[in-house]
Formats: sequence, C-alpha cells, structure tokens
Amino acid sequence: MSRLEEERKPFHIKILDRIRASKLLKIIVLLAPASIFLAIFFFSPFIIALMYSFNMFKQVVYTYVFVPRISLEYYIRLLDFPGIFVTMQRSFYYAIVTVILTLLLSYPAAYYIGFKLDPKYKSTAVLLFIIPFWVNFLLRTYSMKFVLHDEGLVNTLLMTLGLIKEPIRFLGTDLAVIIVMAYDYMFLMFLPLYGVLEKLDKELLEAAATLGASPYKTFLKVTLPLSSPGIIAGSLLVFIPAVGEFIIPMLVGGVNTTTLGTLIYSFFITVRGEAGWGIGSAAGLIYIIFIMVLSYLYIKLVGAEVQFG
Amino acid sequence: MSTRRDFLRVAFVGAAGLAVGAGAGYYIREGEVLSLRKRVDELLSKIGIELEDNLNIYNWTWYANLNLIEDFEKQHGLKLVYEFFEDLDTALSVIRAGQPVYDVAVISDNEAQELYQEGYLQEIDLDKIPNFEHVPEGFKGLEYDPDNTFSVIYSYGTTGLGYNSEVVDKPITKWEDIFDVDNPDSHIRRYAGKVTMMPDSGETLGAALIYLGYDPDSVNESELQEAADVLLAQKQYLYGYKSTEDYMDVLPVGTPYAISHAWNGDIAGAVYAADEYEVLIERYYEHLRYVVPEEGAIAWYDNFVIPANAVNINAAHAFINWFLDPVISAIHCITIKYPYPAGLKYTPTELKEDPMIFTPPEVWDRLFIGRPMTPEERALREQYWTMVMTG
Amino acid sequence: MSKSDVILKIYTILLLGIIYVPIGVLIVFSFNNSRNRAVFTGFTLENYYRLLADERVWSSFYNSIWVAIVVTIASVFFAILLSYAVTRYDFKGKDILDMLLLIPIIIPEIVEALTLLLFFIIIGIPLSPWTIIIGHIAFDISFAYLVIKARMAGYDPQYEEAARTLGADELKTFFRVTLPILLPGIIAASLIAFVESYDDFIKSYFTRPGGFSTLPVHIWSMASRRGVTVDLNALATIVVIIAIFFAYIRIKMERWM
Repeated sequence: MSRLEEERKPFHIKILDRIRASKLLKIIVLLAPASIFLAIFFFSPFIIALMYSFNMFKQVVYTYVFVPRISLEYYIRLLDFPGIFVTMQRSFYYAIVTVILTLLLSYPAAYYIGFKLDPKYKSTAVLLFIIPFWVNFLLRTYSMKFVLHDEGLVNTLLMTLGLIKEPIRFLGTDLAVIIVMAYDYMFLMFLPLYGVLEKLDKELLEAAATLGASPYKTFLKVTLPLSSPGIIAGSLLVFIPAVGEFIIPMLVGGVNTTTLGTLIYSFFITVRGEAGWGIGSAAGLIYIIFIMVLSYLYIKLVGAEVQFG
Repeated sequence: MSTRRDFLRVAFVGAAGLAVGAGAGYYIREGEVLSLRKRVDELLSKIGIELEDNLNIYNWTWYANLNLIEDFEKQHGLKLVYEFFEDLDTALSVIRAGQPVYDVAVISDNEAQELYQEGYLQEIDLDKIPNFEHVPEGFKGLEYDPDNTFSVIYSYGTTGLGYNSEVVDKPITKWEDIFDVDNPDSHIRRYAGKVTMMPDSGETLGAALIYLGYDPDSVNESELQEAADVLLAQKQYLYGYKSTEDYMDVLPVGTPYAISHAWNGDIAGAVYAADEYEVLIERYYEHLRYVVPEEGAIAWYDNFVIPANAVNINAAHAFINWFLDPVISAIHCITIKYPYPAGLKYTPTELKEDPMIFTPPEVWDRLFIGRPMTPEERALREQYWTMVMTG
Repeated sequence: MSKSDVILKIYTILLLGIIYVPIGVLIVFSFNNSRNRAVFTGFTLENYYRLLADERVWSSFYNSIWVAIVVTIASVFFAILLSYAVTRYDFKGKDILDMLLLIPIIIPEIVEALTLLLFFIIIGIPLSPWTIIIGHIAFDISFAYLVIKARMAGYDPQYEEAARTLGADELKTFFRVTLPILLPGIIAASLIAFVESYDDFIKSYFTRPGGFSTLPVHIWSMASRRGVTVDLNALATIVVIIAIFFAYIRIKMERWM
C-alpha cells in the first residue's frame, strides 16, 4: 500500500488500523464499554452514597449542592441509634438459622439425588427441585402467606388431624420469617451441595467400606469432609441474601422482625430529609463492606468459583 | 358477595360513567353526567386553559372512585397515572425526593404547610378551579393555609380505634384499653396478639402522647421518651403495624387480629364493604365499630397539593376542579365512605348521619388539630419513632 | 437397597412434594369462585377472564419483556468483549477485574437499588424505563460474564490460531470462528441475563418512573392491595407456567454451558 493510499483512508479506518496494530489499544477497546458503564452506573452511586454519608451534600429543594466537608455525624447517629444492635443481632440470627435449616433440609435430598439416584433420573430430579424456585420470588413468598395463615393450609391440616385446637400463629412472628426464608433460599443451598456430591468419588467410599468403616463412620469421615466446599458455598449463597432480607419480613413479619434490609429501607424512605438518606447510606455502606469482606474470605479460603443457581 | 352487588357493578361499569347510587335511591343518570361534563368543559373553555397530555396523581389507597378517575382520563384524552401510598411518611419522602414526578398529591394539613414552606409545593391558582365555590366556608382557609395558597380541601376525619365486636365482647372506649399493658383486664392484654397500630409516626406517637395526657404534637424529649416507652411496652402485645389495605381486609373477619388503630373512613368503608368502584350504600359488616377514644384523638384534613416540580399544571388544576364538582364529590363519597366537603349537597342523608363518616359536632371538642413543626422538631420525633419501630 | 437408602428416598420424594405445596395452593385457589382466601367454594374461570381483561397486567408484562430484551442484548455484548479480553490477552489487574465483576452479584440488592436511586436523584437524571434498564445491566453484565468467560476459557484457542494462519485477521476470526463456537455460551448467558432482569423486583421498584410497572412490580402492587387476591392467584398460575418453561429451557442449555 503506498503512502498516498494510506493517507487517503477515511479517518475511522485509520483508527481501526491503529487498534489492530496495538495490543494495548485492543485491550482498552474491549474493556472500555463495560468498565465505563459500570464505573458510572454501578460504582459511582456508591461513591455518591459515601459522600452523602459524610454529609458532603446539602439539599436545596430538588437540587443538591456539594459542600467540601467531612462530617461523621451520620455514622455517629447510626451507632447511637437504639435499635441498631438489636436489628443486627436479629438479622444474623435469621440468616444463621436459615443457613442451618436449609442445610439440614437439602443435604439428605442432595445426597440422595447426587449420589444414590440412578444417573438417568438425576437431571429430572434436579429439574423438579428447581422449578418452584424459578417462580417469581414475590409470588413464592406470597404463596407462603397463604399456607401459614391462621386459616391456612398448615393450620387447617393440623386442626383436622386433631393435633392442635387453636390455630398456631405463624404470620407476624420470627418463625414465619425463618420458614419463608428457608423455603425461598433452599435451592441456593441445594445446588452447590448437589454439585459437590454428584462429583464425589464412589470408589473412595467403597474403599472406606472395604477397610471396615461403618456407613455412619464413612459418612462422617469421608463424605462430609469431601462435601464441605459445597456446604461452604451454599452457606454463603444463603447467608448473603438472608442477612439483608427485606421483602420477607415486610410480607410475613410482624412487630419485631426489623432486619438490616428493612432498617436501611426505612432510613431512606420514612425518615425525612437529608438525615435519613445520610444515615441510610452509612448503614448500607457498612453492610456492603461487611458482605465483601465475607465473600473475599470465602474466595481466599475455598478458592473455588462461587456457583450461581 | 350477593349477585345483586355483582349486577350493580356490571351495570355501572357497562354504562361507563353512569353512576347508580343504590340503597338511598340515588340515581345519577348518564344524561346528568353528560350535562355535567359539558358544564365542566364550558368552564374550562371560558378560562381558556388547555390541558397537557399527561397527568400523574399520587393519592392514598381507597380514596377515590377509580371508575370516575378513568372517566376523567377518557373525557380529557390524557394519559393519567394514578398511584397509591399508604402512609404519609413514604409520601412525604417521595415528594421531597421529587422522584417520581407527580402533578397532584393528597397531603395532610401541617405536613402540606411544611412542604410549602420548604419550597416543595407550588401555589394553586384558584381562578382555574371555579368549583372551589362549592367548598363549604368551614373548609376554606383553614388554619394551616388561611388563603388557600397551596392547598384545597380533599377530605377530613379522625384517627381512632376500629374493632370487630364479634371478637371483642367489651366495648373499647379509651386509649387506655390498648395501652395499659399492666392491667390484665385491659383489651391489649386480653386480646394480646390481636391488636394493630398504624405504621405512621405522627399517628402512632400522637396516640401514645394523647393517652399520656400530652399534646400529640409534643416535642418535649421527656414526654416523647415516655410515649416511646408506652409504645415499646405495648409492642410485645401487638400483631403488627398495619395500615388501610391490611386492616380493612382483616377486621371484618376478626382474625388474625380484631382491634386496629384506624382512620374513620376506612372502618366505614369496611362496614359498607366498599371497594373503589361500586356506587352503593349497603351495610355489610354491622359488627364493626369505630371509636374516637375519650382521651381525645387526632383530627386531620387532607388536601390537594401541586408539587413544585409538577409539569402538567393545567391538567392538575382541571383534575382538582373536576373532583370538587358537587356531584362528582358525592359519588366519590358514596363509593369510598369518606366525607368530601364539596359534595355535601348531593351526599345521601344516610351517609351524612353516619358518625363514622361525618364526625359529629360533640366529638370535635376532644379532637386535636396538629400544628406545623420545624424540620428539627420532626427529626426529633422521628428518632423516637424509629426507636419504637426497631426496638 | 439398604434401609437408610429407602429413608433417604422417601425423604427426598416428600421434600420434592412439599416445595410444590405453596404454589399448588395458589393454583388451586386461582379457580376459586369465592374471594375468601381460605375456603374453596367452587370452580370458576372468571378470575382468569378478569385478569386477562386487565390492561395493566398486559402492559406490565410487555414492559418486563422489552426491558429484559434490551438489558440482555447490552449486557451480553459487554460481557463478550470483557471475556474476550480476559481470556485472549494477558494484562495486569485481571484478578482485580474478576473480583470487581463479582461485586454486583454479591452485594445486597436493596442497598444497590437505593444507592442507584440516590445517584439518579442527586445527578438529576429523571426516572424512566431507561433507569430500570441501567440498573439491570449493572448486575447482568456480571452474570453474563461468568457464563461466557467459562465457555471461552473452556475451548482450545488453536482454532483461532489456525484461522489466523490461514490469513484471516482478528476481527474476521472472531466473527467466523470464535463467535460460532461461543454461541451456546452466549445463548445460555442471554437466558440467565433475561430471566434475572425479567424477574427482578427490588431494582425495578425503586428506579421506575411513575406509572411504569414491570410484571414483578405489578405483582407487588397487587399483593399489597386488598380485594385482588384471586386475580393475583390467577396471575401466579400463569407466571408458574412461564417459569416452568424457562426452567426447562435452562436445563436443556446446561449441557452447552
């Protein structure tokens, strides 16, 4: 190609040529769209929230004026807030109980489907297990409201069987929140468990049996430790949404079911003006940092890639 | 529900705008509606205002006949968005945030005044609302807005206690019945787990303050602390903090709860099994009661306001004007069972004499009408309120 | 089969049955001719007629679909570029990039949604369907990226090398060789991205403009209003059928992933 032709090329072709020639430029072009998008619409909102939590914006009717100051006022007010520790305690309690419950409920099933079931039925069984969880989260939660109602299925059944005389009060209690969370999040525990158990080496277990270990001992000494990555992954996957749950306490909870999620929401929505957003941002950021540290530790510890249902 | 109700609904929807007021023999014929429309159009053209293509309205749930609203939309060929809120705190935070944008909102007395003073409301041009003349004198220029600069009356009422008398054998008369947790004979103890309060800071803190003998708008820290303590002690005996949508549904059944901190018109609506469409007067749940407790209660006035960032100003005025038409207001009243002052002339006597809907004069003596507060005072009260909610 | 295996089998079948109960109850009651939530009084299809005649259900369904389509196209496009860069080139900060791209998935959505709303309000961007789309793309990029990257890392780059040796330039190679091999991964990623957006409630709810709802937002507004119980049940039944359809497709895809 002569130099003249080179110069005659339209501008955009020239740019394309240059990109083709340079590896660095190629990488930049590939990374730029998503990075710019995420920088603007994902990461900068957190920076705005961070600035807001340090009281760096002043609200003047609908506009917000930047004020170069750093004040810890909102953080102090957050920590001074009487309900904050009770709420945190409660959120952790819900999340931990949910993790344990989902683990206990789904382990036997994951073990059976992943390990014992004839391989040709496996994918059908998994499909059957997942379908309910593909139904919209709100509807799943809402349907549990029906089941747990004073005159709902559970109470009707128990009363017909004569096991109880008065309906058990589920709605509005901790129990309802935990039951519904366990129901809604069970598949997040099931999938990683199944993933690990399915790949478990059968010969290893047979070897253990040949060496005279009882099935019980084999399970405790071999199967359980080998499935621990699944347990850890499942626990994390359940714990993260459960600890900040916002919709379930709103729909089936009662007076004493405020969680971190509902607390942050109420700071933003019901507390008036700048202070609400400020304290809410502060709470949200602390919460996010906590979740990120937890996830980081998990990735460092287990090293496996998190599986997402 | 009976087939008659179904029939009436079909008849009403079918005629699209033809409203049938059953019970008291109220019939508003299509012809009347048409002449009404013409009148409104004439008034509009006389002032020479042209409506925008959109109108966004933000109102409480169960507060207007939705068929009529739809009719307004069709009549003016605009795209009308009608959205609901259930508690004032949420509504105020939405209006302060300015997102989503609304052209008309319905906000209570002092809160409206505070919004205006902070610059979140624009002035209402009464010249564009000729129907304002139908508002009775007693509802014009109320204390919080003497010249109707930024507000026009929508409805009014009280906040008291509603209960299901089939479940609750002894009548409730006082706040004490639901706040005195030390008395094992009080309603709150006997119906533990079957009582709800409102999820609204002003109302619920106010109720506790009235019970303690203080001003419901108190900003005295020790009084607020006392009120918060009362609410926290009461909390363990509550079913939850529930609003309109929930208690209107549950109270007639009486389970899971049977006593609710409630607005008068909601309980009236439940008694008449009102929905947002049917124009009829028929009492369905006679066993529901509403009381304004002896210690007193909060009275409130809801108002049309136009947020400062509203864009469809003419349509907003036209909507307010349309709503204030005496016949339209009366139909809303027959449907929803709240009093709409502008419609008094056409409101059936049966409803006018119902103390649940129209608060009788002797009750007014023990009602508290709020005062505007500074943002600092609000913030102080919210602190105690959030303490109660999360405690 | 040993005794413990029988117990396990019974337990698994029981669990599989129980998880269908709540949804089953909704479906059964969607045919109820009474508005009472607890007692089944008779069979009717009227709830469905009423539901299908409801314009808002259709418009929210339509909104959900078109929002999800735009979100899917954008996030899969971004994800392909990212995956290509990460799997075909060496550069510093790859690990950090991987970590950063996990963040949108791990952090609680309620915080993400509220901070995004705060951002829109402070910057002064009026809420519109596009603000919902932006919010959805932000987390969908990560989902799509995880799937496409796994696929791209999983196959032998020698096909690409071969194509290049034969004289095709990189762009041509990408379109003629890489993309067709990637296609199953892209389809799988699109499906996940689509469903994540289609099913999202929290972000849509907080970043939507007045009068605009997606299906989950509409479901929420129905669930929080009285007197529409049976209509909601009918809607739930339809949503369940759609969900089964999606689940089926996704399982079919699994072998491509």
